[in-house]
Amino acid sequence: MSKSLLSGNEAIVEGAVKAGLKFYSSYPITPASEIMTFILKKDVTFIQAEDEIAAINMCIGASLAGKKSMTATSGPGFSLKQEGIGLAFKLGTPLVIVDSQRVGPSTGMPTLGSQGDILQAKHGIHGDYISIVFYPNSVEELYRYTLEAFNISEEALSPVILLSDGYLSRMYETVDLSLINKKIKIKNRTLSPLGSSKRHFTGLTSENNIPKTKDSIVYKNWYLQRKKHILNAAKRYNFFEYIENKNSDTLLIAYGITSRAILPLKNNFSIFRPIRLFPILDELKEISKNYKRIIVIEMNDGQYKHELEAFLKRDIKGIGLLGGKISLEEIKNEL
Amino acid sequence: MSYEKFFRQEMKELGWCPGCGLHSIFRDICDVFNGINEEIVVISGIGCTGRAAGYFNLDSIHGLHGRAIPLAVGIKMANPELKVVVISGDGDLLGIGMNHLIHSARRNDNITVICNYNEVFAMTGGQVSPTTKEDAITLTTPKGNLYQPINIQGILLSNKKHFYGRTSYVFREHLKKTLKEALNHKGFSFVEIYSPCIINYSNKIGKSAADVFKEINKEYKITENNHPLKDNELGIIKNE
Repeated sequence: MSKSLLSGNEAIVEGAVKAGLKFYSSYPITPASEIMTFILKKDVTFIQAEDEIAAINMCIGASLAGKKSMTATSGPGFSLKQEGIGLAFKLGTPLVIVDSQRVGPSTGMPTLGSQGDILQAKHGIHGDYISIVFYPNSVEELYRYTLEAFNISEEALSPVILLSDGYLSRMYETVDLSLINKKIKIKNRTLSPLGSSKRHFTGLTSENNIPKTKDSIVYKNWYLQRKKHILNAAKRYNFFEYIENKNSDTLLIAYGITSRAILPLKNNFSIFRPIRLFPILDELKEISKNYKRIIVIEMNDGQYKHELEAFLKRDIKGIGLLGGKISLEEIKNEL
Repeated sequence: MSYEKFFRQEMKELGWCPGCGLHSIFRDICDVFNGINEEIVVISGIGCTGRAAGYFNLDSIHGLHGRAIPLAVGIKMANPELKVVVISGDGDLLGIGMNHLIHSARRNDNITVICNYNEVFAMTGGQVSPTTKEDAITLTTPKGNLYQPINIQGILLSNKKHFYGRTSYVFREHLKKTLKEALNHKGFSFVEIYSPCIINYSNKIGKSAADVFKEINKEYKITENNHPLKDNELGIIKNE
């Protein structure tokens, strides 16, 4: 037992370093800025980039050069990073992107937490894309799932989004990291670094290093193979929490900070908490069959509800908590 | 032969237009690379010159429009043993990617940036670029460019430590000498290679590839002086 008091942002840093983080680049933004100051205390190459776009491109370069890399931001910066996320996906670059959400759109309410970037995390880039998105709900989980985010990014050879929010990132909790360390094995880098070969990494559709920009078959083969590879990797990372209440015909679905707030409702309802938000968990298909009503509670205007309706092909009620406020009373009134 | 050594044979041939300076520039870069002992990694952005990365038989990245420099900086920081070279165009480096260029030069990052300065957005048909001369007729300035071209020399020289080289595909020995010095420079080095676009710019204003070549050959002078270059001068200005 070795307990320590950590903030969410510190836990992300501890998890990343444990996972083998060697390069970090980001641009100051509330509520993710503190990650930079914690990184400085670690054996990690760090550069405060000139902007959000530079930060993610530096991380892609560093990752391809052989170093496990991470960047962190919030909504406005996350929007700017989308083209880079697309490049990382196209080039098969392991990379972790932390988005500590705040109320948007635009500058919005910088110091208030939110869950408004759910759809951006899934669909933010242009073109077809399979996103991997984790969203923990405690300081301890931020540590654990930062580790898991690095692991899956190495397996999937793809960027991974770790969602947090302004509340979770700045929350302090007592944690025992040694217990988690016993459970998780670190995945080592398999991709050989730049300078060791004669590969051409290009954002263009290509085959064996050669651009094939008018060949639909090449594109289709590339994309379907990429999709299969990522979905296969995701199967080993199907994280969720299910609190079953046998007396309830209603399933509440919540994630991240909201799932903490609604925990007292477990006395009257079943609660499902996805930790891997995307790809959406197949387990939900079976579990949802047991319930007449499904209600998604989230700090946005129905973003995950929308995704789940399409996934489960049924009507779902949404409770949207807007403007950075979480109130259990308000939720109860809407149930 | 350095071209055979550094050209990615599967690409079969360089895809640039007939008359484009990039053909000889590519060969000259191969010659210069031949004298480099470190492992070289080439990074490009988007555009005609952006295709350069794909032609080198080296580990190379063809990244996003304007973002070659931060990719290169990440690589260099992750592995300082590598020789990291950015090869891209003026639209990519001095337009959409200018922020990165300014800051990388300010930080004096130990990378070399080779800018093919063709005066237009060539791949998309010849639109005005930040380097197009004032009054020049392009696809998007049919009545002449209203604005003065960017003064990249001035921007780079505003840093106490700097390396700014200007050369042209017309003066091949000078080009190689300039690139060699840039690649051996400790810190940020920038080389502008003047090579106006032929098909999507020069031809449209009535100049052939031969006209452009002769014009540059006649008008441009090589200087050894370490002072800010005049508009028609080629040389290296540096302060380590």
